Amino acid sequence: MVTESAHEFETQDLLLNVGPQHPSTHGVFRMVMQVDGEVVRDIIPYIGYLHRGAEKLCETMDYRQGIGFMDRTEYLAAMNAELSYVMAVEKLAELEVPDRAQWIRMILVELNRLASHLMFMGAFGIDVGVFGTPFIYAWREREAIIDLFEEISGDRMMYAYLRPGGLAWDVPTNFVARTREVLTAVRQGIADFDGLLTKNEIFVARTQGIGYISAADAIDFGMSGPSIRASGVPLDVRREEPYLKYDEIKWDVITEQDGDVYARYLCRLGEMHESVKIVEQCLERLQPGAIMPEKMPRMLRTPPGEVYIRTEAPRGEFGVYMVSKGGNRPYRLKVRSACLSNLQALKHMSVGQYVADAIIVLGSIDIVLSEVDR
Amino acid sequence: MTSEESTEATAPTATLDGTIWAEVDRALSGITATAERGVLDVIVHVPPAEIVRALKALKADATLNFDYLRSLTAVDNEDEGIDVVYHLYSTTAKHNLTVKATLPTDNLHIDTATVVWRAANWLERETAEMFGVRFTGHPDPRTLLMPEDMDDTFPLRKDHPLAEIEILQGEGMGYSDEEDQ
Repeated sequence: MVTESAHEFETQDLLLNVGPQHPSTHGVFRMVMQVDGEVVRDIIPYIGYLHRGAEKLCETMDYRQGIGFMDRTEYLAAMNAELSYVMAVEKLAELEVPDRAQWIRMILVELNRLASHLMFMGAFGIDVGVFGTPFIYAWREREAIIDLFEEISGDRMMYAYLRPGGLAWDVPTNFVARTREVLTAVRQGIADFDGLLTKNEIFVARTQGIGYISAADAIDFGMSGPSIRASGVPLDVRREEPYLKYDEIKWDVITEQDGDVYARYLCRLGEMHESVKIVEQCLERLQPGAIMPEKMPRMLRTPPGEVYIRTEAPRGEFGVYMVSKGGNRPYRLKVRSACLSNLQALKHMSVGQYVADAIIVLGSIDIVLSEVDR
Repeated sequence: MTSEESTEATAPTATLDGTIWAEVDRALSGITATAERGVLDVIVHVPPAEIVRALKALKADATLNFDYLRSLTAVDNEDEGIDVVYHLYSTTAKHNLTVKATLPTDNLHIDTATVVWRAANWLERETAEMFGVRFTGHPDPRTLLMPEDMDDTFPLRKDHPLAEIEILQGEGMGYSDEEDQ
């Protein structure tokens, strides 16, 4: 006869290794999950597989050469990354950026935000289990934006188009018309997504109430971008410390109150509408003019000093801390990665969820490992 | 900015008018902190031994309320030691502050800021492996980006070689400081 005891039903936790080579980790990210049946008890993330020492490399290059490393740091939103970097150099060197260059920069970073959020929509659809359709839809519109960037800068992803002081060269003459064309396509794309996912019963069931984080915890973890705004914190550098011309046009900071995966999705969807609005207003305000200051030295040098520049990239606050001791290269360059800080909260958001939901939580913070590892 | 910096040595408070330094000074009572005006934010220098007390006071103060740690890193100033740099922000009062603690090269120990913000956890792990700064009381002092078996080589220190590229830059590529004068 079998005697029943509590001991008999004791189960052991299993250590489950996810990544680093797995599509659901969006790059080379590895986490060891301690699972009790289907429930995640603990997560140990491992990063650093893509560490290239971009900060150290920038310290050996002059200010112009560093721009290329910023592209490769945040390759899905390279314009936003370049912007932080060139703004840091401009602050140190006390360069005044002409109006036209500022409006063009604003159009480009907002278009890049759209491209990046489109990428999120597609990849996130796959995380949730909607194979194919959203991904192809997202890439169709992203392709239109990338084509436009290629016409402007000559490259599809590594633009190296912004320069300390302004832009590398002026945009093509048909830029305004082409951008309007792209916007029309993107607006249609956003509507398609809205129709495909937002009210989709399966999508909502898989994302609502998953991966909750409260506003206080999100602030404490240093989260930023849509990930913190989905918890009801209206933290947006564009609004709180306006740079470029964000204080001259009308747009809204999108926040959601629920703090779950679905809220983070809605937040990005809302932001895409805002980005389209911003680009439209910029196009109306764009006037002919200079794109670089009149007196630019052949070799840019900065006086000693330090500055911490922050801008709102698609994934959150992209900060560049630059220390100069004179000369033509930064003495120290630190990239504040939004994804790194967001990723710290992964364990907090995933413990107690099912394994399949932990994958969605990871997808919902939209990591770019190249930016996390630098 | 240049003229302001030159007068700083004689009258340090003159350039800090209209900044949050007055409130910071009040919150940091009992701590010997000095301040200077940075390009964007006020920079406060705090003795390393009192760093956690200072950070806690800055977070707890009702008007300052520095509840958000933007960034934490270090700067290797070679013989002058290593600066640990904290960039703080208040999500309610919307102001910034840079806090610096200078560690002498022979004693790179500083208390962990993870007791103030959980955001400091990974940032301190990165700073520790890159600069060799030891964060006393850190809950998880493993390496973050570097391999686990990296000991006693700290890549972001100035004495760490970047061999091939430095040779190329100095001689072949013409980007050394001496040439373009």
